[in-house]
Amino acid sequence: MTNSVFYRIGLPVLVGVVLVATWQLMSNFGMINEIMIPSPAAIVVGFSELVTRGYFWDSTWVTLQETLYGFAIGVSLGLIIGALTGTFQTFRTAFYPFVIAFQNTPRVALAPIFLTWFGFGITSKVVMAAVICFFPVVINTVAGMASVDDNAKMLFRTMGASKSQTFFRLTLPGASAIAFAGVKTALTLALLGAIVAEFVGGSVGLGVLIKELNFQLEVAKAFSVVLFLAVIGLVLYGLIELLERYLITWKQD
Amino acid sequence: MSTFSIASTTGETIRLAGVSKTYETASGPLPVLRDINLQVEAGEFISFVGPSGCGKSTLLKIIAGLVSYDTGTVEVGDQKPKAGREDIGFMLQQSVLMPWLNVSKNVELPFVIARRQDVSTSRRVEELLDLVGLSSVASLNSWELSGGMQQRVALARALALDPGIMLMDEPFSALDEFKREYLNIEVAQMADQLGKTTLLVTHSIGEAVLMSDRIIALGANPGRTVGDIAVDLERPRRADMIGTDQYQQICNEVRAALASDLAGETL
Repeated sequence: MTNSVFYRIGLPVLVGVVLVATWQLMSNFGMINEIMIPSPAAIVVGFSELVTRGYFWDSTWVTLQETLYGFAIGVSLGLIIGALTGTFQTFRTAFYPFVIAFQNTPRVALAPIFLTWFGFGITSKVVMAAVICFFPVVINTVAGMASVDDNAKMLFRTMGASKSQTFFRLTLPGASAIAFAGVKTALTLALLGAIVAEFVGGSVGLGVLIKELNFQLEVAKAFSVVLFLAVIGLVLYGLIELLERYLITWKQD
Repeated sequence: MSTFSIASTTGETIRLAGVSKTYETASGPLPVLRDINLQVEAGEFISFVGPSGCGKSTLLKIIAGLVSYDTGTVEVGDQKPKAGREDIGFMLQQSVLMPWLNVSKNVELPFVIARRQDVSTSRRVEELLDLVGLSSVASLNSWELSGGMQQRVALARALALDPGIMLMDEPFSALDEFKREYLNIEVAQMADQLGKTTLLVTHSIGEAVLMSDRIIALGANPGRTVGDIAVDLERPRRADMIGTDQYQQICNEVRAALASDLAGETL
């Protein structure tokens, strides 16, 4: 029963349909204030209007660029700093306390500062996305490297492995499953960082669009953009999961 | 398992004289080995038995060059111990297979580390897998195998570079009784064929008797020799030897040696 297609796919779809239908019916019967919470039908109509406008796709492209550039920079730096921290005790002692301290500060509060430093263009959003997705990658990379079995390290010593052989043939693959979990989290956070930075100050992007639609009381359209962002997030997450399955084939579920 | 035909290296001698080792711990010095003297002939199969903390594993690591010793001399095949020697194969309690490598790539790993891959490597890996009875699973992921099969892969990997010395640190202790006994016989018979010098650390007196030429009983706190018992069961070893009077008698000798230490009567 729990392995059937209906159970795994049909059941959540059925729940979704019931929830949306209930939402629509409650709107139809006036039980929900449509100005505050537009009906699903109004959201679909709003979205169908938006997709015909060039600025919608311009905004989508800008937000995607900010997210992906920020993700690439944040993940690259996170993996490098994480690998250095996990490899060199002195580096870890000197810098890791600052990483932990910074991890525990609300990084979205930096958005206005980045705006001052890097201006209203794409750079401030990319930096925000990079900063926000950097930390889970560092922390997971360090945790992944620490999780490498001591017996495996000893075995590599008995085989006469050099430091670089131990790093590339044991530590790196051994840490990759946990490090990749951080990369997956980072992707979601990169999108969040880009949107937050757009809220704080930007001229184009889906975050800017949501803010403007809200000011114009086009709540249905604003809702539709939020749902569109959710779809973008899901698609990106799906792609990174595919990449994980391709790269980390030995992950045992 | 098939008859092994690819071992060209014969066993090497091992000599330990007056070896002592003390670990520095947070609560002060902890002596683990005291005045260990041992002569292992080429091709001999020796087991170390004794209670937990008697320094059995430390002794093996000293011979492998993984742990330093404080006093005495150690000669492994006429050289001082050094980590990473190609003439030593090492097996641990856990199989320690790399999950990102399939079975044959795990066996190939020592060649990769030693940068000794050549056209003959894949043939040798095939022969090693045939030796341990795993030819049919060569392309499987290592984590898809049972515990016993994983230890066989570890055995093939330890034999990969055709070492003269095999060091085995409780390699069968994580297996169930049936698989353990089965592998005991297989490894004992393989040791006969290969002629490697083999040192086995085990908690099981029966396992030690079934596999070894000689058993070194170690007392604890600190670890020291309390018995050196010859095992004169005929070779090749067979499962039906378990329970024979001769087998039981040797088990009792080992127990007596260990018990004498517990009673404070060191040899």
